[in-house]
Amino acid sequence: MKGLLTVWRRELSAHFLSPVAYVTMVVYLLVAGWTFVWAVEKNQEIGDPITVSLFVALFLWLPITITVITMGLFAEEKRSGTIETLMTAPVTEWQVVLGKYAGAMTFLLVTMAPSVGYLYIFRTFSGGVPFIDTGALAAGYTILLLVSAFCVSTGLLMSLLTRHQVVAAIACFCAICLPFILRVLSRAVPRNAGAVLEYMATELHILEFARGVVDTRPMVLYLSGTIFMLFLAVRVLESRRWT
Amino acid sequence: MLAQVNDSGPFPAIMIKVSHLTKRFGSVTAVDDLSFEIAAGEIVGFLGPNGAGKTTTMRILSCFLPATGGSIEIDGLDVFKQSVEVRRRIGYLPENCPLYPEMRVVEYLRYRAELKGLSGSRRRRRVYDVLSRCGLEDERRRLIGHLSKGYRQRVGLADSLLSEPAVLILDEPGIGLDPGQRLEICRLIHGLAEDHTVLLSTHLLADVERICGRALIINDGRIVASDTPDNLVKKLKGHPRVTLEVHGPRHDVEAAFRRHSRVAQVHWRSVDDGWHLFEVECDDGDDVRPDLFREVVAGGWQLREMRCEVIGLEDAFIAVTTEGLQE
Repeated sequence: MKGLLTVWRRELSAHFLSPVAYVTMVVYLLVAGWTFVWAVEKNQEIGDPITVSLFVALFLWLPITITVITMGLFAEEKRSGTIETLMTAPVTEWQVVLGKYAGAMTFLLVTMAPSVGYLYIFRTFSGGVPFIDTGALAAGYTILLLVSAFCVSTGLLMSLLTRHQVVAAIACFCAICLPFILRVLSRAVPRNAGAVLEYMATELHILEFARGVVDTRPMVLYLSGTIFMLFLAVRVLESRRWT
Repeated sequence: MLAQVNDSGPFPAIMIKVSHLTKRFGSVTAVDDLSFEIAAGEIVGFLGPNGAGKTTTMRILSCFLPATGGSIEIDGLDVFKQSVEVRRRIGYLPENCPLYPEMRVVEYLRYRAELKGLSGSRRRRRVYDVLSRCGLEDERRRLIGHLSKGYRQRVGLADSLLSEPAVLILDEPGIGLDPGQRLEICRLIHGLAEDHTVLLSTHLLADVERICGRALIINDGRIVASDTPDNLVKKLKGHPRVTLEVHGPRHDVEAAFRRHSRVAQVHWRSVDDGWHLFEVECDDGDDVRPDLFREVVAGGWQLREMRCEVIGLEDAFIAVTTEGLQE
């Protein structure tokens, strides 16, 4: 546990001491905020709840943000060789993987946290929003958290597979985008397979939760997916020592 | 703990025991049936040409890579089965000394100390201790990325010393340093022998002669020689040759030297008024210099120089890695 906390603290300082982190944060918040306003304008005729516009905007920029955060997690350590000092210290693979994962998640949460205020800011300046559905807001953030947890674990695994940051970035981005395009894919495959894909499509989960419809099935899906990815990551890190 | 090990008698405990270590990368055999032992408190130089398997062996010793075959015990613990326990007892400085450039020296050492399980006042004390031991007090607030190569090397070394490990494994600690810095690092390592067992790899043979009690030379993944640097040189040298400058009658001196059973040949040439330079070739065995000195004294002659021709470890190294040591 102590090794995990140590790795986590070092990851946090690595994230927050780098200028890239602040650029990522500011750009994400600006672009997502702007997308939100644009989506609200587009949505006026359709009549979706305003929370749907908010979460569509927040999710749209999630893959690229998570890619930037996770691509270097292990790839950078491998490139610079610090993986050798790290893994020859008396820490286990679990501690290293979870510590790094927790560091990336913390940074991502800090990045996304200010977006909670978007609706309130919007109401203050537009006057067109009579009330804010806090239930839908909570449900939306729940799924945002779960999907982020899953995507960060996927990105971490991809970062572990290569020593080149660019390769890691591309692999992360593709892997993270995959669940987001499942709905489109589901239309292209035969009906039964399509139904399965649709069941797992992140896009539909987001729309559901953003309306305030909480479903435990996607929650279990993302949680177990996260655990599975982290498990794989530990095994990959261990595989270095397999004979 | 270490003092105990060192005091355990005339035969100090075996700290590192490598038996039949083999490592293959696909079809390439990097380390081939390597066996050696290192006693507690020894400083052993690990030598070999590039690609001989030094770094691979050290990575296996430090639990970073698995072996294909064989076994390694460090302080009685199996490197493969008790990896985390072994890592607590090892200070490892990898090749090229990788560090996090965005951290400050003292931050980095604090982080590493914590990672190695030190906490509270012990951590503070150890960080302070290694900072002063490695001459880093004035650089403690600097960013590692801004440090010169020499200082970075010291940070790496300081890191390896943090947990007061029984065993230090240093992969090329002197590489990329200027001669002055190298000398300092050598002194530092030399001073560590009291409470650490040190295995260090290097290309700089002068360093080995200066600080190592024993040199282990490997080539193509096999040990080709293991002995003290002096003995390695001696084994290789063939017949020893002593050079003397004596003031006295040439024929008498030559005759006196030739009386000795182990003296094979005596060559001479005159240097300046009355002084002659004698080159005495001897058979193997004990040093003949005391005998020759006694002859000079007995003859009442003057002696202003006497030396044994020294071939360096460098020559020994080249000889054993190209043709193997003939014994």
